[in-house]
Amino acid sequence: MDNEIPLPPPRRIRHRSPTKNPVASGSSLRKTYQLSRFDDRSSQPSSDPALFSSDDIPASGLENYHAPVPSGSRKRRYRGTWWGEMVKDPKRKRADFKEKRHVDSGVWMGSDESGADSLLPSEDPSMWGEELLKDTGNSAVTGSRTDVAMHDSERWTAQGQPWTQRSGLKKVEEPKEHQAARNIVNECLESGQDSVDLSNCFLRVVPPDLLRPLQHLTKLPAIIEPPITEDVYSSLQPFLRLFLTGNSLQSVPGELFELGSLKVLSLRYNKLTEIPPAIRRLTLLQEVNLAVNRLQYLPWELLWLIKKGDLKHMIVRPNPLMQIHEAEIAQWHSPEGTELDSPEGTLKLRDYEGPAPEEAWAPIHVATGPVRRFNMEGMPVDAPASGMSASQPNQQESRVPSLREISLLACTRSVFFDQVSDEEMADYPGLILRMLRQAKEVWNGGGRSCSVCHRSFVLARTEWIEWWDCSTYESGLKGPRCSGEKLRPLPFRRLGCSWACVPNAEADQHSREELQL
Amino acid sequence: MASSATDSEFVTLVSGDGFEFVLPRSAACVSGTIRRMLEPSSKFAEALTGRCILENISGIVLEKVCEYFCYNEKNKNQSNVPDMEIPPELCLELLMAADYLDT
Repeated sequence: MDNEIPLPPPRRIRHRSPTKNPVASGSSLRKTYQLSRFDDRSSQPSSDPALFSSDDIPASGLENYHAPVPSGSRKRRYRGTWWGEMVKDPKRKRADFKEKRHVDSGVWMGSDESGADSLLPSEDPSMWGEELLKDTGNSAVTGSRTDVAMHDSERWTAQGQPWTQRSGLKKVEEPKEHQAARNIVNECLESGQDSVDLSNCFLRVVPPDLLRPLQHLTKLPAIIEPPITEDVYSSLQPFLRLFLTGNSLQSVPGELFELGSLKVLSLRYNKLTEIPPAIRRLTLLQEVNLAVNRLQYLPWELLWLIKKGDLKHMIVRPNPLMQIHEAEIAQWHSPEGTELDSPEGTLKLRDYEGPAPEEAWAPIHVATGPVRRFNMEGMPVDAPASGMSASQPNQQESRVPSLREISLLACTRSVFFDQVSDEEMADYPGLILRMLRQAKEVWNGGGRSCSVCHRSFVLARTEWIEWWDCSTYESGLKGPRCSGEKLRPLPFRRLGCSWACVPNAEADQHSREELQL
Repeated sequence: MASSATDSEFVTLVSGDGFEFVLPRSAACVSGTIRRMLEPSSKFAEALTGRCILENISGIVLEKVCEYFCYNEKNKNQSNVPDMEIPPELCLELLMAADYLDT
């Protein structure tokens, strides 16, 4: 039985720096360390040498701790890090280390117990200097190696606990419908499906970061058994379609407007009261369905998409839209060449014969509503609440944004703005709180830009309704309007960033520029 | 002396921490609050001396405010107004100041 192969020694935890008992470990390590420095100074690597399980000496177990250390076990002596060495021996110069660094192979091989975190002398940075100090001081050997090991293992468990707890706290259970929606989106992303159907998902809000990944959606080429005919080939350009039909959304998330490649958007059967003007960013949009919502007006930017963008089909009815015969009208726009200035005249398309003229297809501007002005705080000027509107008239017409506007815009552009929670905001002074809330709302909706001068803004200073007939686009451009057809104009809300941004301001600006030329 | 101060083309704005900014009266009057302070018909001390002490605005913020006054004055009649840069760390304080100064 004496010749029996010795069992492998119990695994020792190999931390070079226990926090609980630094005196003991420091001194014992130091002893070996100094030895090492004298006997082989030239070939010392700058990083920790690799440790192998075969390096363990069977005799160095707990039973005979004080046994003489065999000379073969040199490797284990180098346990100081290179920065540790510097502190221990202040006489050594940096140049010495430079030479040594050439020896370093750059390969770091951790043994099983020395994780990446054990590279540092201690996890707690405040303990760091202290430890090194104790190392340099010549304290007596008091502890034993097992002590160290025990403390180390204690530390491990102590460390482990808060770690798991913390991660447990962080994970807040997401509502089931959000999870389901995320699954659908992920599935579409994985299979390259460019028609994302999130209809009837019972979403009240669109959870953050749900739609953003869709902008990176790529289609996968289909694998089809031969024989291959020509109609098998299809475009790999995604024709992105997003269906949010039949949810309970009350507002459109700004994230949606980051999907620049969106071609079809359906928000039918929701509880939307407003479509943010940021919809203008969806320049490739071809079809939009906003039916069965609570919209009273449409964003003017939708009209811009028709004129300058790709929008060909726009379904907006039914909605509780404003009606032109109930609304206040400041100006009727009758087509050129006609003297009719009555509502009846403009509400009827001009008679034509033969092929349909361009105006039978294009949207027709029927009327413009009165302009509502807001003061610098974003309150309507004619409202009795605002007593501060007695500004000089010449100042009112300037296009210079107010300082409030500039600072609010800077707020929304800064990185911390989305991190400010509503609770934190409640601590801000009441005067600016309302403006900040409004800014947040605008920011959530994807921002606004002036429909006249294209400047980004937060608080609108002017607002008016333009009535346009888009019936050809409502039917998906199936055919032109008939001759003499009755027009059914839709209300489009336009916002301006300053009191100079009002209807006809564009035309005025053009004429002024022409005069200057 | 009082009459010369009211006629003077320039006014002095003093921040809470003692910084003084001298700028044209017309630029400072962009702010409704300052305009009312400097109203010659009122017998406010500010109107008589042409010196507005704004206790609750710090020098750093007031500097930016003055920059805005000049920016506003300069671009008043322009149709293409350039943007004014605001460092994000100042925007909340500036918002407070803007509310106070009614600009």
